[in-house]
Amino acid sequence: MTSAPLLALERVSKVYRRGVFDRAPAFQLDIDRAFEKPEIVGIMGPNGAGKTTLFEMIAGSNAPSAGRVVVAGQDMQRVRYRQRDRLAIHYHQSYQVRRFSKSRPSFLLEPAGSAYPLVHLFDEPQFNTQDGYIGFMLDFFRKLRAEGRLVFVCLHPTAPYQLDILREICERFLFVSGGRVCPHDDYAGLVAQADVRTYLGALAGS
Amino acid sequence: MALFEARELHLRFGDRVVLENVSLAFKAGKLSGIMGPNGAGKTTCFNVLTGRYKPNRGRVLLEGHDITGRPPQEIARLGVARSFQLMTLFDEFSVFENIAVALPATRARGYDPIGQAYADPALTWDVQQILESAGLAGRADDPAKALPYGARRALEIGVALACKPKLLFLDEPTAGLGSDGRARLADLVRKLKGTLTIVIIEHDMEFLFSLADEISVIHWGQVIARGTPAELKANPWVGASNLGRLN
Repeated sequence: MTSAPLLALERVSKVYRRGVFDRAPAFQLDIDRAFEKPEIVGIMGPNGAGKTTLFEMIAGSNAPSAGRVVVAGQDMQRVRYRQRDRLAIHYHQSYQVRRFSKSRPSFLLEPAGSAYPLVHLFDEPQFNTQDGYIGFMLDFFRKLRAEGRLVFVCLHPTAPYQLDILREICERFLFVSGGRVCPHDDYAGLVAQADVRTYLGALAGS
Repeated sequence: MALFEARELHLRFGDRVVLENVSLAFKAGKLSGIMGPNGAGKTTCFNVLTGRYKPNRGRVLLEGHDITGRPPQEIARLGVARSFQLMTLFDEFSVFENIAVALPATRARGYDPIGQAYADPALTWDVQQILESAGLAGRADDPAKALPYGARRALEIGVALACKPKLLFLDEPTAGLGSDGRARLADLVRKLKGTLTIVIIEHDMEFLFSLADEISVIHWGQVIARGTPAELKANPWVGASNLGRLN
């Protein structure tokens, strides 16, 4: 493996426009960040903030409007469609089945340089306190990290224990809101922010 | 050597991860459990193991022979039987007849196999043995549709046993059963344990913890934990949730 960061989001921008004729942006997401080493990153943000769009761009199933998503030195949009999950793998929310946005035939693209996924994207995993599986899920995140993978856990917390989970396992946080992605180096820093407190509402006090 | 093995199975529906690098090994004569929350990929995993889906990558081995992608009926003939989460019985037939039609010897006969089964003492004896192991000896003449739910479950297991399998897969056998039914089913499985290799998919942790020799926890289409019931129970969250009775 090269010394390239596990994941680099190089001036990535995604713009959804209102329509073919009305080119006014309906939604825009911008991020410019690199993740050098294995870690567990928590992502929070309101519905419609762009969390899933961000995951899709990292996994290569959705192409950025500008900029590049680079996993271990490979531009995701240049990797063969069916091999992209050997670099970054997106565990969808249960109701979502989406397709790759394809611009070129697969054989013109390059093979993935990794045999297994290096970036794992968990999109709103269901943590059910009743069934006892949470412990296995958290241990699994830690195992992936120990194996040198980068793990993202995206949650839209609705109960205090979900915040406890994020606080327990995440080493770093991203707050996605209004198309902006704000990094926070620890949980205390995250929940101290006024916009995060507003977002969490009653949960912020816990 | 494991009787049945899955090596690095991968399955995708579109860009959706269904199975990711699943490896499993079921030792002969043991009871293995596959456990995981709803939608984790447990049944899909069974469907790949029993030939209903072909994996995108990876191999399935029975006694060391590669059976990946073979059709389900062929895998069944090699000695792999399964039950389904939704029961599949001949409702209008009697309990005896449901078992009789599943026997390989009956199926080889062609014309009026059930009539012949009644006439053939060897076959009748076979059916009785199976009804005995499934705990249905007293119900041979009841129509399947008249059975209470738990007994239907047992009959379905009996139908699977009629194929004389080396390996029996049970898909969520406790589904729809109350605590009495679960206890009776656990007794039945305990009786079968050791006579053949059994693999059970279950959502109900307590049921598997009381029966299995080894358990694999599947979630997000992959094995996220593995161990004996004692090892898995040591996880603090399992204790905290008190096996599903917290809150």
